[in-house]
Formats: sequence, C-alpha cells, structure tokens
Amino acid sequence: MGQSTSLIRTTKLQRTYQMGKNTVQALAGVDLEIERGTFVALVGPSGSGKSTLLNVIGGLDRPSSGEVWVSDLELGQAPDKKLVSFRRDRVGFIFQSFNLLPTNQAWENVALPLMLAGRSRSERRKRAENLLEQVGLGDRADHRPAELSGGQQQRVAIARALANDPVLILADEPTGNLDSRTGRDVLLLLQRLVREQNVTLLMVTHDMNAASYADRIVHMRDGKIEQIETIERTAEAVA
Amino acid sequence: MTFGDILRTAWSNLTRRKVRTSLTSLGVTVGIFTIVVMLSLGVGVQRVIQQQFDAIGLENVVVQPRDAERNPYTRYVRPEREVVISPAKIAEWQQMDDIVSVTPIVDVNESISKRLVLPGDAAATIAVGVDPGIGINNPFETPPTALAGVLRPTKDGEIVISQRALRRLGLTAEVNNLIGQKVQLVMETPRGESQSFDYTLVGVSSVDNNLVALTPNDSIALKAWWFNEPDLLDKEGYDYALIRAKDLNVARQLTTQLRAERFRVQSVETVLELASKIFLVINIMLGSVGGLALFVATIGIMNTMIMAIYERTREIGTLKAIGASRGNIRTLFMTEAGLIGLFGGIVGLLGGWGVGRILNRVALAYLEREEVPIRGDFFYIPPWLIGLAIGFGLVVGIVAGLYPAARAARLDPIKALRHE
Repeated sequence: MGQSTSLIRTTKLQRTYQMGKNTVQALAGVDLEIERGTFVALVGPSGSGKSTLLNVIGGLDRPSSGEVWVSDLELGQAPDKKLVSFRRDRVGFIFQSFNLLPTNQAWENVALPLMLAGRSRSERRKRAENLLEQVGLGDRADHRPAELSGGQQQRVAIARALANDPVLILADEPTGNLDSRTGRDVLLLLQRLVREQNVTLLMVTHDMNAASYADRIVHMRDGKIEQIETIERTAEAVA
Repeated sequence: MTFGDILRTAWSNLTRRKVRTSLTSLGVTVGIFTIVVMLSLGVGVQRVIQQQFDAIGLENVVVQPRDAERNPYTRYVRPEREVVISPAKIAEWQQMDDIVSVTPIVDVNESISKRLVLPGDAAATIAVGVDPGIGINNPFETPPTALAGVLRPTKDGEIVISQRALRRLGLTAEVNNLIGQKVQLVMETPRGESQSFDYTLVGVSSVDNNLVALTPNDSIALKAWWFNEPDLLDKEGYDYALIRAKDLNVARQLTTQLRAERFRVQSVETVLELASKIFLVINIMLGSVGGLALFVATIGIMNTMIMAIYERTREIGTLKAIGASRGNIRTLFMTEAGLIGLFGGIVGLLGGWGVGRILNRVALAYLEREEVPIRGDFFYIPPWLIGLAIGFGLVVGIVAGLYPAARAARLDPIKALRHE
C-alpha cells in the first residue's frame, strides 16, 4: 500500500472526541492522498477538522478508526515508541506561535531534534548554522528568540523543522502571528524549500491568500474533504 | 538525548528563574546544614572523648574475680569467690600471645589500719595507705614520678614511699640519700594484737598523699595476717590483674574470653562502647531534626517543579511534538529537581562546615579560659558525612522530582501545545 508514489494516504479516517455527554466528530471519514514533494494547504472554517487531520498525520493524535499511512508506516496502529521516533526523525513541525525555547540560542533551537536524536554538539552546531544560512539567518546563530523579530523567529522554527532532514513538514497556521509582508516572505521560503529539497509540506491555514502559495488546496468542512483544488503555475510565476 | 545535553538543558532552565531556584534549594540547604552541624558535633565530641580515652590506654584490661552468690547464711561474712586470680592464672595469662604484661594487684583497703614506723624511733609514726598501683593514667592529672629510686618495688621486702609521708616521718634529708633506709609497717587489730613488717626503701614518689607501694606478695602478707587467713592467696587470689594487650583487637578478644571464664572485666573499650551507643542515639535524634527540615524541603521542590511544569507546558508540548520521548521529559525534570537538591546539599555542607569552625573556636576559647586541658575538633566532618550531605541533597531532589516529572511526561502534546 505505502509503496505507491503517494507519501500520505488516509482511508476512511475518523476521529471522535468525547466532550462531556456529547460526541464530537472531528474527522468523519477522510480519504486523502498526497504525493511526495507537494505543497498542500488545508483550509476550512474553524472546527472543520483541519488541525485534527494535521495532528493525526503528524503522529500526535490517533484516529478512532480508519488508516493513516505516511510512507510505509501506519500511524494508527504503530506503538508509542514508533510514533516518537517517527516525529523525531521523519517529520518537521512548524507552529503558529513559533514555540522556540527562550533560553536557547537560535542555533540550539534549530538543533533540538538532533539533540533529541543524540547527535554530538559539534555536528549539531554545524548543521544548524548551515540551515540558518538557508533561511537567511546565518548571522543570527547566537541570538536568543527574544532578540529576533517574529518573522526571524518563524524562520528559525522552519530551520528547526528541517534539521532532521524530514520527508514531511507539518505547519499549523505558520503565518498566523505575522504581518502580511513577513507572512509573504515566510510563505515564499516554504515554497522554495518544497521546490529545492523535494520535501512534502502540509499547511493548515484559514487564510486563502496564504493557501494560494500551495500546489493543492484541500477544502474541509464538518470533518470531511469538500473539494481539492490544484493550482497550475508556470515556472516563471514561481520565480 | 545524551546525559551532557540533559544536564546543560536542565541547568539553563534552572538559571532562567534564579531567585526561585535559589529559594527552593534554600530549603534543602537548611536541612543539610542542620544535619551537618548536628552530626559533625556528635562525631567531633565523640572523637575528642575517644582521644581522651586513647590517652588512658585502650589496650589495658582490668580483670577482677567474681564473688559467689550470697545466701542468707553467707550474708555477713567475707564473700567466697567464684573465680580466683591465682598466681597460676597470672602465669597462664603471661604465656598468652600478644600480651605485653600482666600485673597482679592487691587492694589493702582503708579499713585495715597500718602505720609507718621508723625502727628505733617510737615518735616517728604516721598512718599510711597502700597504693594499689592500678597503673592507668588519668589524663586529667599529671602522673606521679619517682623523685629518687624507682616508682614501684620489684622485690619482696622493698617499699616505695611518697615524699610527703617521708617528710612527716621526719626524714627531711635529700631524697637520694634516703634510699636504703629501713622502715616498718605496724598493723594493729581492734583487739590489740599487733605485728610489724620490715622493709627497705627503694624509691620516693611524688604522689601528694601518705601512700606507700608494696609488692603484691607483701600486700597479701599484710591481708593474710589481718584476716588471720594464712592461705589467703590460694583462697582469694589477687584483687585485680592489669593485663596490657598488644593492641585494641587483642584487648577486645581477651575481654570476651575472660568474661566467658566468669571473670569481671573492665576495659576502657567497654566504657567507650557504651558511650558510642549513647552518641549514636544522640546523633540519630539530631539528624532527625535535619530530616524534618529536608521533608519540608522536598515538598518545596515538588511545588516549584509543578509550577515550572505548568509554566512550561507549551514548551513540553513542543519538545514532544518534535520527538522528545516520555523518558526524555521525565529525565529532564528529574535532573532539574536533582540539581536543586544537589546545590542545596553543597551549600548546606559548606555552611555547616563554616559554622562548625566558628563554634569550635568559641568552644576552645571557653575551655582555655576555664583551664580544661582538652583540645580538639568539636565539629568534625568525616568523609562519609560529606558524601551523606551531598548524596542526601541529591536524593531529596530526585525524590521530590518523581511525581512532577511523571506528570510532565504524561502530558498530551496536543493539549500542551494549545496551553496558554
């Protein structure tokens, strides 16, 4: 099943929550396939299940029923330890509020996944500087998050998401806390990374303008996929 | 995550809230400080006392015969002896390995009246006591010295007399010229019988009493006449024997062995063992005071850690999302708690050491003013106490961290990431 060209494949994916006496169906049967190396935006009103879908695909949450395959791993049945190493070694997360560790310098934040994987400090430092260079913050390696602007912090977070050389990057409203200009820069950076590094990017947003940077836009409503839009773009438009 | 990374991360998290971290570890500091001061006092005083006992000579064993049980018929007569220190026993002990010397001692007690007389001079007569010569020095007094000749007679018929007694007899010449002087001890019973014993002076002692020293045999002869018991030595034996062992271990073994033979044995070691037991109880009591403080400190650390976890919930969520395992999170928070305890322990140890030094000085100054000839460390920190203090601090921290760390490890990353 996981041998096809698609990186992510979900079938009849359901996720229900118990809220007191009410049962909330966050995902009501999602069938989705995402190919390697695409930039996919998940859009929809709040409560449509887009964040839940992102969490399930990232191995942070488990489906109530159905299957979710990322590459050759079925996340619904995988043991906890597998999910931890999956997140640590194969996925990169980008959050709306950056979530950098305030006591760590920029490069240490970037290298966090490598630290968790037990790599040596010198190797971490080298890789982190390299990544910061890629996101245009080569000269900010020793700054703490408080000394960086919002856009710079999000770029550090993007570098952190790339540190473990992931196959998949999951971004939850990455431009939600940024003004439109810096938001645009961040989106262009993400777009460029997908093109250059052939990583797959799944981005949750409610901002249609942000979604327009993606290759495909998945519209969700009431826990279901309503529509999938493919955006045709010429090579010149990308540049 | 390597241990170095854990330590570095824990350290940077602790230094983020310096005041809170310091205040929390202050609780441990107070506990460890109390334990260190109390225990070092206990150990120090015990050591000083031990040093005083060492001066007496712990390898000395004093053996006494045991009196037989008395019944209504024997109640008012001289007690029979169950075991006797006979000359044969003395010889047997002298043959044993690792024994330096065995000295039989006869106690010619005060109720036996005896006067020292110069032969041919009826006027020169004074009442004297016989110095049993236990041979154990009192560390609080200067030991007697021989002003002339020897301190103890070695042959029967010889006598050593204190300078004070000689002066009162009217022998005021230079002490060296008195050696060889003939003297008599005269005994008189209340019934009017009397007997005199002849001796030659072989030494003058500096003892500040009217005392004479005789050989054990001569002492026995005095008692045998007094009690009208010619077989006294065979029947009752000597009153004590002082056995000087090669070292403390031999003394200990000997004590056990002689007790099994029904002798009464006093060794300074026995007294010291009793003292050690008392000190152990005192130490445990003092230590418990610090233990109570540590218990409070444990709760303090727990509280701080729970607060820190609450504040850092989102951070924990982030770490979990990017691949930290439950074990990573647990180890991280346990390390932070352990470090708080460790710092508290180290500071408490240093504080306890410092206060001990100051109090020791005060104590020594006081003793000097009171002219007590005791010197030493009343607050002594043995190596095990250093280990105990630091180890205890660390353990207190880790124990306090167990529950908060488990809570942090259990956090659901999705909820944690949504936490404000």
